[in-house]
Amino acid sequence: MSTPEKCACGNDDEDGLIERLEEIISSYKETPGALIPVLQATQSLFGYIPQKAILKISEILNEPLSSIFGVITFYSFFSLKPRGKYLIRVCMGTACYVQGANEVLTALQQQLEIKVGETTPDKLFTLDIGRCFGACGLAPIIMVNDDVHQFVKSSAVAKIIKNYRLHEPKTVEVQS
Amino acid sequence: MQITINSNSYEATQGETVLDVAKRNGIYIPTLCYHAKTGQSAKCRACIVQVEGMRGFQTSCNLSARDGMTVQTESKEIIETQKQIVDLMLSQGYHNCLACERSGSCELQDVCYHLGIEKTTYADAPTGRKDESSEFIVIDYDKCISCGRCVTACNNVVVNEVLGFGHRGKHTTIMCDDNILMGDSSCVQCGECVQICPTGALTDKKSRGTGRGNLDKVDTTCPYCGVGCQITLHVDKAKNKVVRVTGREVWPNNGMLCVKGRYGFEFHASPKRLQYPLIRKNGKHERATWDEALDYIVERTKEIVAKHGPDVFSALGSGRITNENNYAIQKFTRAVVKTNNIDHCARTCHAPTVAGLAHAFGSGAATNSINDILESELLFVIGSNMTEAHPVVSYYVKQAVQKGAKMIVCDPRKVDIAHWSDLHVPLSVGTDVPFLNGLINEIIKNGWHDEEFMINNTENPEELKEWVKEYPVEVASKICGVPEETMHKVARMLGEAKKVNVIYCLGITEHTTGTDNVKTIANLQMVLGHIGKKGCGVNPLRGQNNVQGACDMGALPNVFHNYQSCIDERAILKMEKDWGVTGLSRKEGYKLPTMLHKATSGETKILFCVGDNTVQTEPNTAKTIKEIEALEFLVVVDIFPNMTTEYADVILPDVCFNEDDGTYSNLDRRVQFLHKAVNAPGESKPTWWIMQELGKRMGVDLGFHSAEHTWEDMRRTGTIMGGITYERIQHLGLQWPCPTVTHPGTPILHMNGKFTRGLGLFSHTTYRAQAELPDAEYPFILSTGRRLWHYHTGTQTRNSIGLENIFPEELLEISPYDAKIMNVKSGDMVKATSRRGTITLKAWVTDRSPKGVTWCAFHFHEAHANVLTNDAYDNVTETPEYKACAIQIEKVSDGVEVISRGFRQARP
Ligand code: SF4
Ligand code: SF4
Ligand code: SF4
Ligand code: FES
Ligand code: FES
Repeated sequence: MSTPEKCACGNDDEDGLIERLEEIISSYKETPGALIPVLQATQSLFGYIPQKAILKISEILNEPLSSIFGVITFYSFFSLKPRGKYLIRVCMGTACYVQGANEVLTALQQQLEIKVGETTPDKLFTLDIGRCFGACGLAPIIMVNDDVHQFVKSSAVAKIIKNYRLHEPKTVEVQS
Repeated sequence: MQITINSNSYEATQGETVLDVAKRNGIYIPTLCYHAKTGQSAKCRACIVQVEGMRGFQTSCNLSARDGMTVQTESKEIIETQKQIVDLMLSQGYHNCLACERSGSCELQDVCYHLGIEKTTYADAPTGRKDESSEFIVIDYDKCISCGRCVTACNNVVVNEVLGFGHRGKHTTIMCDDNILMGDSSCVQCGECVQICPTGALTDKKSRGTGRGNLDKVDTTCPYCGVGCQITLHVDKAKNKVVRVTGREVWPNNGMLCVKGRYGFEFHASPKRLQYPLIRKNGKHERATWDEALDYIVERTKEIVAKHGPDVFSALGSGRITNENNYAIQKFTRAVVKTNNIDHCARTCHAPTVAGLAHAFGSGAATNSINDILESELLFVIGSNMTEAHPVVSYYVKQAVQKGAKMIVCDPRKVDIAHWSDLHVPLSVGTDVPFLNGLINEIIKNGWHDEEFMINNTENPEELKEWVKEYPVEVASKICGVPEETMHKVARMLGEAKKVNVIYCLGITEHTTGTDNVKTIANLQMVLGHIGKKGCGVNPLRGQNNVQGACDMGALPNVFHNYQSCIDERAILKMEKDWGVTGLSRKEGYKLPTMLHKATSGETKILFCVGDNTVQTEPNTAKTIKEIEALEFLVVVDIFPNMTTEYADVILPDVCFNEDDGTYSNLDRRVQFLHKAVNAPGESKPTWWIMQELGKRMGVDLGFHSAEHTWEDMRRTGTIMGGITYERIQHLGLQWPCPTVTHPGTPILHMNGKFTRGLGLFSHTTYRAQAELPDAEYPFILSTGRRLWHYHTGTQTRNSIGLENIFPEELLEISPYDAKIMNVKSGDMVKATSRRGTITLKAWVTDRSPKGVTWCAFHFHEAHANVLTNDAYDNVTETPEYKACAIQIEKVSDGVEVISRGFRQARP
């Protein structure tokens, strides 16, 4: 997934984005099997798939809403909720689990005050879980966007979060 | 081929599954996800069997039978495995049958009963999740086994495309649209999903707690539109009430229904029904006995007719009442009063069809059957808002499109069916003749016509080629506002398809050029040679439940029953002999508008009106009221008080569709049976009884002692219906012509190009503009029609529970373009005024309307279209131009804006 262009900074520009999305969808109008590429484009444009976009796609591609929704919820790649600037994914594969991934997850939930799948109100962090990341030797693992954090202990979670917060320009925090 | 099931040998045919063979031979195999209509999905695995030579278990619902196969359905292993499968399934939800609506008719319960499962051995997982937001349907997620039948039914059977599956694995759930509440979704409440759900997950809301095993089931015909869906009424005998309706899985509807047919059933038990005869005394309607009322009618009729002659008497039958009752009225009018002044509401809808097609082909009815739609290659739909007016036909059309048929929808409005079309052609209102002639011209120019058919089977083929030269595409395109390239494209599609089915409705007929429009359609199909073949034809969608039948029964001023001319001496003598009377009128009677016009000049003095509600249904209400007031004597027979009963001198209470036996003829000429299911309220009586009693008092025994007697009376002198007896149609209808009792009925007319009249006749048609064009003072065109949720003047649908909650008041549809200029939003109050009157109603800003065109219906007496419509009519049939008049619009006040999201059929 490419980094969302706008997602972390409020929805000031979503209307503008919808117009761009309309162009994209229209360019696919005559292509069979256009739904998935269009959804991918939507996801990277908004960082998630807003309801407005679903309605537009249905209207232009003449696809029933229910089939679009079915596809979105079938692939974990698509998200119906806005995602934070940092996507934190906790590996729940066997190795990580055995090494205490669950405790790490609990710590993250407490620290961020959100549940799995949710995004912090400041739109900085989204918490998610995943299956084996293919680096079991380093278990337990969490990934924050493309950064890999290895041998994570639940006690270290607060520090990791703080580090990301520290790198944020102040304006983001006062927004929204 | 032979297959062995549980050591017995059975015959099987190619294409059958093991399940099919077992079922056919009475061997029960549990099934849950399989249904004949939704097909195999091999999801639930309840239907497993063992096959010799194959490993493990096979699902029998998708296992093709092969010669020599040996199948076991009941081994210990199978039963044990089935138990585990169902046990797990139960544990995924919460199945407590005690108060479940489905108990007794639940397929999951049947499977558990068969396997001896009392409850799941795991823990239940109740979530309590229910969706009760829609008007008629409850979704109880705890009882859903994710079999997928409803999803397939909604998407591939009725093709409303609302339901889907969301999420994955064990979180999979059915949902509406993008997972919103059913009540907010695009669901049209057709109830197909409820009917097909094997469990109590989808149930009818209104039927909750009204009874399960204790109900009587009565098969009958839907009393709403001309599709003539076959339904089963679930009747609580003790309460004398219908509590639920289901669709019968037979032609013409194969179990499918629309919201009216399935959920609009309470009207029969409404306390507002007329129950006793009423006579106007001192300006008030007062209760009378039948004897008083009938004697009074006879006395007045005799007195007036004696003074002025029989032609001051006019009668109206109805497209809403049975064949028997229509026949009774026409026989009374002709044999007792001795006038041919009998007509009915086909005058306001499909009279141009009857006239135009009889002229061209020799028979004025739909040429092919509804099921032919599935055989067509190209569906050419013109002037039909079928998803609302003939919903079940639209399901077949959408199924055909899914199967690969192409569809062109020609309509000034973007009617909902256009959503499923390959091409929507928004021609200008009232330009059908130049549009179609332009297409014919282009077809002939390119040699796409069927020269052989034209030469061998038609009259005037060379002349036709000359006539259409007046309309080359360049000329036609300018008149009808369709770009030339679109016309070229349409002509090519028509010319190249091997099976074109032309389906049309009132957008064609309700114009001052109605008959010409129909003749031009006939021309088109004869040029293409698409008559008398499967999947082709000219197929008008008849509007009301029995408007075909009212015509068949001779409730028309020019023909007796079965279209026998009433000015043909032979036919007259035949009737005089059979009816035992002399002196039948030798001249054609008045058509409905003429009957009314002549009231003001004193030439019509008595109107005997059955099931019509003339005041609300005729155009230009103010004028209609004047005419009705000018009558000397008005008798109205109906089931509810309405705008017309207000003016009546005598009101007689009729029975309704489920209170007597009888028949309706649907839009593909299928005569179908109505079984009595409940008792009529108060002293209501069938119309045939009323006519019999009146006849007796005027010295003629009409011979009507039951509905069947009346039918037999018709049949004696009938022709095309002579072979249809009550006995033959108890379970399934028959399509006329059916002249003898052994004749199987006729699904397709004019087979192999052998027209009823011999050769098909081409007609010369030319463009004439609508009678009232928009101008500076009245700048908008108003077109009118019907809505999905209501029927006729609303007496039935508005007296049933729920339909009015979905669509509570009439809306004026305005295009977004015009709305913006006038600063009108959806929900604002507007005043619509024509040269004839004004109505005030809410606006609905929608792209269903093109620029300059507005639209509303006539169901709500509070604000109905006919106050505005123009009484100009087609000169051949006197069918009024309901589809076009000029109005002005003025905004009255701001309302709460109605926000529409996505595509939703038939409502904002
Ligand atoms: S009622 Fe009809 S339209 Fe609505 S969800 Fe069920 S099948 Fe689909
Ligand atoms: S609601 Fe009924 S038909 Fe639909 S998936 Fe669930 S059990 Fe099957
Ligand atoms: S489609 Fe027509 S006949 Fe069928 S249920 Fe609806 S109203 Fe009745
Ligand atoms: S289990 Fe976590 S990386 Fe494999
Ligand atoms: S009925 Fe065969 S798998 Fe469900």
